[in-house]
Order: sequence, then structure tokens, then C-alpha cells
Amino acid sequence: MNDILVDIKNLNLIYQSIKSETKALEDINFQIKNQEFVSIVGPSGCGKTTILSLIAGLLKATSGEIKVLNKTPNPKDDLCGYMFQRDNLLPWRTIEKNIYFGLEIKGQKNKERKEYALSLAKKYGLKDFLKKHPNELSGGMRQRVALIRTLSLRPELLLLDEPFSALDYQTRLELCDHVFEIIKSEKKTAILVTHDIYEAISMSDRIIVLSARPGKIKAIHKTGFKSDMSPFERRKTDKAKILFDQIWQEIQNEKNDEI
Amino acid sequence: MKKMMKFSKSHYDYLRKYRTKKILINLTQISILVLFLVLWEVLTKYEIISSFFFSSPSKIVDTIVQLFNSGELIYHSRITLSETLIGFAIATGIGFVIAFILWYSDFLRKVLEPYLVVLNSLPKIALGPIIIIWFGAGSKAIIFMCILIVIIVTIMNILNSFTSCDKQLIALAKSLGANKIQIFFKLILPNSLKDIVATLKINVGLSWIGAIMGEYLVSKAGLGYLLIYGGQVFNLNLVMTATVILCILASLMYFAVALFEKLMNKFYD
Repeated sequence: MNDILVDIKNLNLIYQSIKSETKALEDINFQIKNQEFVSIVGPSGCGKTTILSLIAGLLKATSGEIKVLNKTPNPKDDLCGYMFQRDNLLPWRTIEKNIYFGLEIKGQKNKERKEYALSLAKKYGLKDFLKKHPNELSGGMRQRVALIRTLSLRPELLLLDEPFSALDYQTRLELCDHVFEIIKSEKKTAILVTHDIYEAISMSDRIIVLSARPGKIKAIHKTGFKSDMSPFERRKTDKAKILFDQIWQEIQNEKNDEI
Repeated sequence: MKKMMKFSKSHYDYLRKYRTKKILINLTQISILVLFLVLWEVLTKYEIISSFFFSSPSKIVDTIVQLFNSGELIYHSRITLSETLIGFAIATGIGFVIAFILWYSDFLRKVLEPYLVVLNSLPKIALGPIIIIWFGAGSKAIIFMCILIVIIVTIMNILNSFTSCDKQLIALAKSLGANKIQIFFKLILPNSLKDIVATLKINVGLSWIGAIMGEYLVSKAGLGYLLIYGGQVFNLNLVMTATVILCILASLMYFAVALFEKLMNKFYD
């Protein structure tokens, strides 16, 4: 039964604020298998990031159930690795020390872990940058450092919260390929939140489309690409175009309903 | 690991220009001081301005030598300097700890905020009579005055710096399961180092203000006492001399902090 990594049942979330109550998520149900790549898309403010925070255990659900490897998620467990829109590298630390940041917080900064982190950095092209500071690196490089920092904790599940959206288009396409390759070769499961539909199509096995607030699951699409195709190649296929039109329409309808 | 590089001619020209400009600035700075001293000396020597009211550089030097020989120079400087340093250290230290506590506890911060604002805008010298009654007319009262002046600014500056740390960095640390103490030592403190050093620099000036003000109120010794005494007996030589010594001591202390800043920057690079 270890095949199911994430199991979400009848999930509801209501945000409380002084002025009002906001229903953010309503009756969310889905499962994610081991080594699967799933994207979540939807109109802005539909609760995409909220789902990630819930899976990471940073937020508590109002009702319903979330299990990651049959356990209620807790950020103290090392199951999830979170990657943000911004790389969040500490400007006063070198790249090497930035990579160790997660290990330090978790109290796992031992020789074996450090070597593993370094080997990842070297394997994925950061060898010459280890002694540099973040401001000396390009945006794409910095985001790669952030990914290595996350991977060095050996998470079962990667939560990617629009990790490419702060980058220029060229870098974004390149980094998509890199990150995809890294995630596949390290055999990780990943959930990607994005508003770039093509990005979702090109990287994932399945795409979850959310409705406008309160977020409900509107559709789940299987992409069905061959696993040896890179995101860049996938983007160019007819299948991607057809899927794009379909998802675009679904999100567009949501926006119209809102108006 | 420094690379040796050959520079182009234009780069050498650029460097030369840069150096010339720097030298020019230094020269001008020194000339202003020299000109000022010479003018002061000449004008008072020929009594174009009264040497009784304005003293003169040579008289100040004489007074310094006299005070030094009688041991008074060291005696009074030491008293004021130690009051200043003690006040500076205690206020900065306790201020830092209080800022940490207020950063740590959201509740306390919100509760104490109006009190801090009121204390900050209150002119501390107004508390002079109370301080004298509580602590007696001695060094204790002076140090307390000094602490009072320095500590509020320290708390407000450092707390402000603590709370202005990038929220996203904190979100990252939280997603890794960091507790508040870890967030403080790994993020908040390194992020605030520059502001803390800036606060130290401000505190140098404030702690001298505190010590001298305290001495105006109560003292029987110290540079502030010399100033008041010199003023009362119309000995302007003494007043000017004490002022000069204060200038020297305060800048020495400032340079010590600046040196500390340099060392710390080196450590962090």
C-alpha cells in the first residue's frame, strides 16, 4: 500500500479574519502515487498554495483528512520539501552554507548528509559556485541552489510553489528541463502549483484544475506523455496544444462565472 | 587565492584619478583644521577677538599640560570615560535583551508599545531630580541617567530591525520546521547585524550625552564637572580644554566601534 503517497479526503478549509470568514477549499479529494508528478492549476486566489501548505503541515484543515505516507503531515517530519517562488537564499551565506541551511535547522548537519548535499550540488552543475554568494549567481542558478537545498533533506515529496514564475522566459524553459530531470533521476514525487498551463502540461503526469474560490476540483487530466520526453519536447506536441485549450477553457469559464 | 591581473592603461588612469581625489579630500580636511587653529591663535593673540572669552589653541595646550602634570586630566577623564562606558555597555546589553524578548513575544510587544513611545519622547533630563533622590549625588546617578538615555533608542532601533526581517525567509525556515530560537540565531540576528552596529554608533554619541548631562546635574568630578566649574569661575581655558578632551575621547570610542564593524564584516565575508 506504499504506492499511495498523498491521500486527501473531503478536505475543507475556512480562513478566519477579523472582517469575515473565507471559504478557501471545499470538498477536495485526490491521491498521489509514488514518483508521480502532479500539477495544480486554477484562477488566481483559488487556494492552490493553500493545498501545498496543508500537505506540508503548515496549516490545519478545518475538516477532512490529509495523509502523507499514512501520517498526518507535520513540518518536523522530513517527508516534504518545500520550494518557493523566490529562492530565499540567505544573502550573507555562501552557496555551500545555503545548501546546508535545511540540514542545520533539522539538526542533521553531519558528515554523511553534507557529503550527500555536496554530491548533489556537483552532480547538477553548482560545483564552481559553492564558495560564491547568492548575489553573484543568476536567477536560474539560484533557484537550482534552492532545489538542492530542498533535496539534501531527502524528502519523499517535493512541493513546488510556482518556482519558475520569477524567472525570465528563457531561463524558465531551461530550468523546467533541469528540475524535471533532477526530480526524475532522484525518483521523487512532486506537486507543482503554477498558473502557467503549458508548464503544468509539460512537466506533469496529471493536472488538477481548481475552480475559483472556494476551490473545488473541477477536472483532473492525465497527460500521458512518454517518460523519456523532456518538458521542452512535450510543449511542442499537438497533445499539449489540445490539453492547453481544454484547461484554458475550464479556467476561463470559472472567471466568467465570477463576473 | 588573489589573482594577479594586468590592468589596461585606462584602468590605471582611473585608479590614479581615484587616488588623487582621495588625497585631495584628506588634504582639504587637514587644511580646514589647521586654518581654523591658526586663525583662532592669531586673532586671539592680537586681541582682535577676546582671548578671555574665546581662549586660544596655545592656552588650551598649556592647560592640558598643566592638568596632565597635576594628574587631574587622567583623573577627570577616567571618571567620565568609565561612566560612559559602563552606561553604554549596560544600556546596549539590556536593550538588546529586551528587544529580543519583545521580538519573541508578540503579546508583550503590543502591550508595551505605547509605554516605549512615551518613554522615548520624554526628555530624560526631566527625571534628574528623581534620579538624584533615588541614587544619591554620585556616579550611580550619572550612570543611570546615561542608561536611561541610551536604552530606549537601543530597544526601538534593534526591535525595529528584528521585526523587519524578510517574511519569506521566515516562511522557508518554518517550512523546514524551525523553532523561534533557531529562526532568531539563523535568520534574524545575521540579518540585523548591520543595524546593530549602526545602533552601537548612535549609542556612542548618546552615552556621552548621558554621562555629561548626569555630571551637570550631580557630579563632583569628571569632564562635565570641569565644564560646569570652568563656566562658573569664567575660566574659559578650562571649558575649552574639557571640550577638546571630550572630542578626542568620543572620537576614539567611535573609531573603536568602527573597527569592530570592520572586523565583523571581514568575519562575515
